[in-house]
Amino acid sequence: MTALSAVPAARIVRAIADAAERFADADFPPRVRLLDRIVERTGYTLPVVEYALDQLFFSITASALEETIAAELGSLAALDRFVDRTETTQGHARPIGRVAVISSRTTIGVAIVPAIFALCAKCDVLVKDREDGLVRAFFSALAEELEPMATAARAETWVGESDAVDLRDFDAVVGFGSDAGLARVRERTAAHAPFIAFGSKASVGYIGREALDDETQARLLAADAARDLVLYETEGCLSLHALFVERGGAVAPTRFAELFATAIERAAVEFPPGERDARANARLASARNLAAFRAATGSGGVFSDERASYLAVLDPPASEPPAFLPRALAIRTIAGPDEAAAYLERHALPVEAMAIAGSRDEIVNMGLRMGVHRFTTLGRLQRPPLANAHGGRPRVAEFVRWITRDR
Amino acid sequence: MRSYREESARLDESLFAIVERWHRSGEPMDDAEFESLALRIFTYQLRYNAPYARYCASLGITPDRLPGSWHAIPPLPNGAFKEAAIATFDPAHAELAFETSGTTQGVGGRHYMERAALYDAALLAGFDRFMLPDHPHLRYFNLVPNPTERKQSSLGYMMAQVCAARARAAGWYLRGDELLIEPFLADLSVEIERGAPICIAATAFALVHLLDALRERDLFVALPSGSRIMETGGFKGRSRVVERDDLYDELCERFGMTHDAIVAEYGMTELTSQYYDDVRIAREPGHGVRYKVAPPWLRARVVGPDGRTLPNGTVGALVHVDLANRSSCLAIQTEDLGVQFDRGLVLIGREAGAELRGCSLDAEDLIRR
Repeated sequence: MTALSAVPAARIVRAIADAAERFADADFPPRVRLLDRIVERTGYTLPVVEYALDQLFFSITASALEETIAAELGSLAALDRFVDRTETTQGHARPIGRVAVISSRTTIGVAIVPAIFALCAKCDVLVKDREDGLVRAFFSALAEELEPMATAARAETWVGESDAVDLRDFDAVVGFGSDAGLARVRERTAAHAPFIAFGSKASVGYIGREALDDETQARLLAADAARDLVLYETEGCLSLHALFVERGGAVAPTRFAELFATAIERAAVEFPPGERDARANARLASARNLAAFRAATGSGGVFSDERASYLAVLDPPASEPPAFLPRALAIRTIAGPDEAAAYLERHALPVEAMAIAGSRDEIVNMGLRMGVHRFTTLGRLQRPPLANAHGGRPRVAEFVRWITRDR
Repeated sequence: MRSYREESARLDESLFAIVERWHRSGEPMDDAEFESLALRIFTYQLRYNAPYARYCASLGITPDRLPGSWHAIPPLPNGAFKEAAIATFDPAHAELAFETSGTTQGVGGRHYMERAALYDAALLAGFDRFMLPDHPHLRYFNLVPNPTERKQSSLGYMMAQVCAARARAAGWYLRGDELLIEPFLADLSVEIERGAPICIAATAFALVHLLDALRERDLFVALPSGSRIMETGGFKGRSRVVERDDLYDELCERFGMTHDAIVAEYGMTELTSQYYDDVRIAREPGHGVRYKVAPPWLRARVVGPDGRTLPNGTVGALVHVDLANRSSCLAIQTEDLGVQFDRGLVLIGREAGAELRGCSLDAEDLIRR
């Protein structure tokens, strides 16, 4: 039995949506109290943090939750009782049990989405919270909406092995991290428990020549791509880490790169750059100066400023992987999708999402070959719908076990 | 107008004089002398080093618009050595050519030097002053690339020169990445029997393997008095990283030595000269901080992303101005971090490059021991 097992699913969904609605209010005191702590933890500027919280909590609505659950389980009612699944079978989606979520340090509220779907599945949930206490604050609001949530949804903070919870006590574990780190977590997970791993990923953009018909269109695309780049300092798996631009459009890639650089500077007005440590600064400056050296000796181009607050490099060598530095991006001019695929394969880049400007099937097909989990348009990379499968995995289905009854 | 050969010879003459003077007497260069020679070499490099000149021109620095101070000399990112031949002369005539380490992309570069004699003089002067201030004749145990196997290794070449000039005997105990532990231990026991001091010159990574081997054999070896270790190279490009303090603690424990017998050398293929810890020449202890010092013709600037020199005590990226890089490029920008103090430079670390982060690194937090 879990704390929520006797609560109707619709009531749980309502509580989560109501708590999210309160957190979507920029003046909601618990949210306001968190801001400085999130800024301190992430190094992002206040406008970026506010944007992230808006994106997160505005997306958590009752209808979005219900639609996602219905899409994956057939109906919300399946969480409460046996429902017809086929002509011969009924099914009841019961909670898998206790779920642990090991949350993220690079972006904001990453743990909340799997946590709320686990709660919708009536699981007991423990989240390893960050120093800013965002999850704990949200769970407090949840408990105010629905009393059993006080038991079902817990957030704790721990930093090392000695005070870590024993993951063998959990029936499912959700983890975010590098392959090596996730492997170690998996070792500590009970053999029977599903391990839902979200490894490090990157996202890319692809602009087909047909999308570069005129300068106005190119300018809009540049603005969209710039937004995808600067949000969360290019640290998230949905940040733009590489941008492929086809040759042959009315607007040449070189001109697009200029527009893109201008757009990054404009985006920085809305989303000012965050705090960077000396190492990131050193790498950015070094990358900028190396690109400048290449440009001076006849290869590629570079767009940046004195402080290296951003960096757009046109056509660095294909041997060079993405920079993975704040607001740094390589624009690679290509003849077609095969060239982009060759680059992604060469660097074994695990691609989470691909933002496409263009209409040709061959671009999507290339993305499918590369293992892309989500296709979208530029400007929307960082705004995934709640129902989207993260990492190619369902949102709620992994938190239930199906009980079937022959009809 | 002087010819290239004449200009080069005049610069080398100045450099040799400075190297010899400091080597012999420890006499430093004052700021004016450093500035003057730095700007002379820079002007010369603008004329003869085409890729560097093009880079400077892109920054608005030309023979008609020269910087007013050595601080304003544009540093070349060290990655440029992988992109072009950074030389004032035809690399086909280089007396020395050292390969920079490959990166994760597997692309290496080369540092060409026109005159081996300048390199040799600079390295021996620095080694003598900072590693051998007590003028010992040591037996060298080299755990660095053997130059007979890897001619392009600047570290191997450096130790070969040191051994040829200063060693009473020497041996090489790395074959590729393999540590030749049995010959090492056999030769070491001979020296211990003789009670004659030795020097182990090793990369940090080789020292880790050496300690592994000693641990496996449960060996503690008290080195003869006056022995020392030169550690270099860090863990760049290695998956296994050991904290330097832990490494030094165990070296002291296993070899019966004190921390001031371990000197970390900091150099890079793109430079001619090297930094060393000041532990063997310092008048006062560092209290756990290792200050790097350099010969007077090598200076470091700690810079921010705008390239301006940061105040002492501030962490920033290192730019090295090495006048002995006469035939390549005297100002080199790195991604290494450091802090400048009056006593010397403190190196913050040389780490692997940026990597894919994606959603988080939280799993590492969870499993941190």
